[in-house]
Formats: sequence, C-alpha cells, structure tokens
Amino acid sequence: MSGNNFETASVSTDMMTKQRRYEALVKALHADIFRYAVWLIKDRTIAEDVVQETFLRAWKSLDSLQDEAAAKSWLITILRRENARRFERKQFDLVDIDDVSVADPKATDASDTQQRDLRRAIAQLADDYREPLVLQVIMGFSGDEIAAQLDLNKNTVMTRLFRARSQLKEIMTNNSTIGAQING
Amino acid sequence: MDDLTFRRTVYADPFTKEMAVIDAAKNDPKKQAFWDEVKAMEMSIEQALDVSVPENLADKLLLRQSIAEHSEQKQKRPWYIAMAASIALAALVTVGMLTQAPSGIAMDALAHVEHVEMESQKYGLVDLQDVNAKLANYNGSINQKIGEIVSANYCYLSSIKSLHLIVKGQEGLMSLFVLPNNITDDVDSSFSNDEHSGTSFLLESARIIVVGENDGEVNDFSAKAKQFMQFSA
Repeated sequence: MSGNNFETASVSTDMMTKQRRYEALVKALHADIFRYAVWLIKDRTIAEDVVQETFLRAWKSLDSLQDEAAAKSWLITILRRENARRFERKQFDLVDIDDVSVADPKATDASDTQQRDLRRAIAQLADDYREPLVLQVIMGFSGDEIAAQLDLNKNTVMTRLFRARSQLKEIMTNNSTIGAQING
Repeated sequence: MDDLTFRRTVYADPFTKEMAVIDAAKNDPKKQAFWDEVKAMEMSIEQALDVSVPENLADKLLLRQSIAEHSEQKQKRPWYIAMAASIALAALVTVGMLTQAPSGIAMDALAHVEHVEMESQKYGLVDLQDVNAKLANYNGSINQKIGEIVSANYCYLSSIKSLHLIVKGQEGLMSLFVLPNNITDDVDSSFSNDEHSGTSFLLESARIIVVGENDGEVNDFSAKAKQFMQFSA
C-alpha cells in the first residue's frame, strides 16, 4: 500500500481494515448466529436468508461496532430486527411442524431418535421460553446478558429458563412412556 | 436451601457457580442426584440445539458482502476505486466459480443440488399424492411415469419459494425445480458449473429448472418433464 497518492492509500487501508474485521466476524460467529436463527425461525432455508440479510446489514454499519466483545449481542439484535421485518413485509405461510427443517440433514442414525424428539420438543416450546434457552446454551450468555438482550429483568429470564427446562423434561418423559407403549 | 429453590436454580442454570447451591448439594445426596440428572439432560439439550451449519455459509456471506460493496462503491467512490473494486470482484468471481457465473436463481439451484445425495437419503420414498398436493400450489400435476421421486420439498431460490423434486435418473439423481413464472426473473436456458449442468424452460405458468450431472441426462429428463408434467395457465 505505498501509493503516491496518500489519500487513496488511506481510503484503501480503511477498506482493508474493515474488510478484515468483517471476515473475522463472519468466521467467528456465522455458525452460532445461524444456529440461533434456525431455532428462532424454525426453518433452515428462511434462517439462512435472514442470516444473509443480518450480515449484510452488519457490514453496512460495522463502524458502529466499537467493542468486539459485544459483537454477538450486536448481531443478535440485528437478526431479531431483520426477522421482525420479515413479518412486516409479508405474512409467511405457516410452517407445519413436520415440515420444519430444523432437523439436521446429517443425523440419520437410529440412535438419533431421542435427539429428534428433543429437537421437536424444543421447537414446540413457546418462543418466550425457547429464546432465552438458545441464548444461554448456544451463545453462552449469562442471565444478565439474556436480560439485556431481550429487554427483560433477570428474574423473568431465570423463571423462563426454569420453565423451558421443566417443560422439556415433561415432554420427554411423556414421549418415552408413549414411545414405550407404541413400541411394546 | 429449600428443595424448590434448589430445583429452580439448577433448572435455570445447570452449571451455576452459586455457593449456596453447591453447598446444598454437598449436604444432600438427593439434591446432588437431581443436579446430576439435570446436567445429563443439559448435555442432550446442547447436542439437540447444535444443528449443522451449511458448509459454504461463510463463503456465501463474504461473497454477498463483496457484491453489495461493489455496487455501493460504484456510486460513491471516484473511478479508480471503483475500478480497483471491479478488478477485485472479477478476480474473486473468477476464482470462486472458474466458469461463467449463472444468474441468481440458476446459481441457487446449482447450490441446492450439491446436497441432493444427502437430501434424498433423509426422507425415503415419497408419495405421489403428496407431490401432487404440493404441485397444486403451482397449478401443476405430475405423472408417475416421470420416474421414482425420492424427495419433494420446498426451498427458496433467490427468495422465491420453489418446489424441489429429486428423481432417480438413469445414471444419477436429477433435480427439478418448479417456480411461479410471474415472479421469477429470466433464467438462462442453459447453465453449468464444474459438477452440474442445468436447463430452464416454461410450462404454461411455471418455470421449470432441471439440473443433473451431464447435458445428455438433463435433456432427456427435460423431455420427460414436458411429457409427464402438466400446468394450467
């Protein structure tokens, strides 16, 4: 970058720096952000579209991200907004639960039955319960961080996390009894 | 610590570091057992939430950004920056695709086809009635003579909802996409990348895209599609 024209050089250097920051952001966080989107939206294809929009928007306002440590919650905020925008644009067809492509295309083993049931159970949780759970487990957020992200107080968050897990436990227990009856 | 508070706390955060919880578990084997059970369930939850991520997602995100950046720079920056961006983009696209770049929809179709092997194993046999029910959304129907359909699922090509049929061909799996033509941009009548080639044509109100491993099979299968699929205007 040793051009004769200083102005050009500094403009390109800025662009290079921004480009490098963006690439690092994509590499470090795209997988977790995608997983979060899949559980928020419950459809892999739409989730991928929303993640694309999210990162494009992130690129456009990358200068506003001062603290790299806050990048996760910054991206999640953008993603939630993009997802809400999707509903403003048009009312999507309701996706019925069997069509939900949360399922992992790689998981074909019979031993994955329990995991498939658990996935279905998680997908069935109310959004209010599922979202804090996903933030805690996939994103590694603390109760305080979830509270800040979702604009709730911490007690509410902890109660929702508690209810999410106890409902999962309940669904899974019922499933295994029903499963046993059918199989047996 | 009473039982209820203990349960609520470990359910809310199975890996809590709260001393009160740790002490309570230490002094009460029942509480410890409950906690262990919650931790075991947590491992399953972690695994269940860990859905697979499309392999090329990071590349797609970077490519899309560079294209968006390119069109933005063109308006704002002086010509020499625009030119540099053009050269960078051209290099990126050349390296990325090696062949000529098909249009957005065709490119998406090719990307989807990369996963047909996996998709086709996911579901097993598909009922013709189900396929026809889905095709009805596009005012179409299909005859069994088309061949053995191994998958029929909706997918998005350039954010247009399309029906993706995977059919067993003579040599490999053939992909057929159905899109509503009135909201679909033009698609090249033939396109390809290193591994697949494709063709696109209209059947009344529907745009059909066929993708397979070689031109011969694509042409044969397109002829079959024209014969055994019907769409109303």
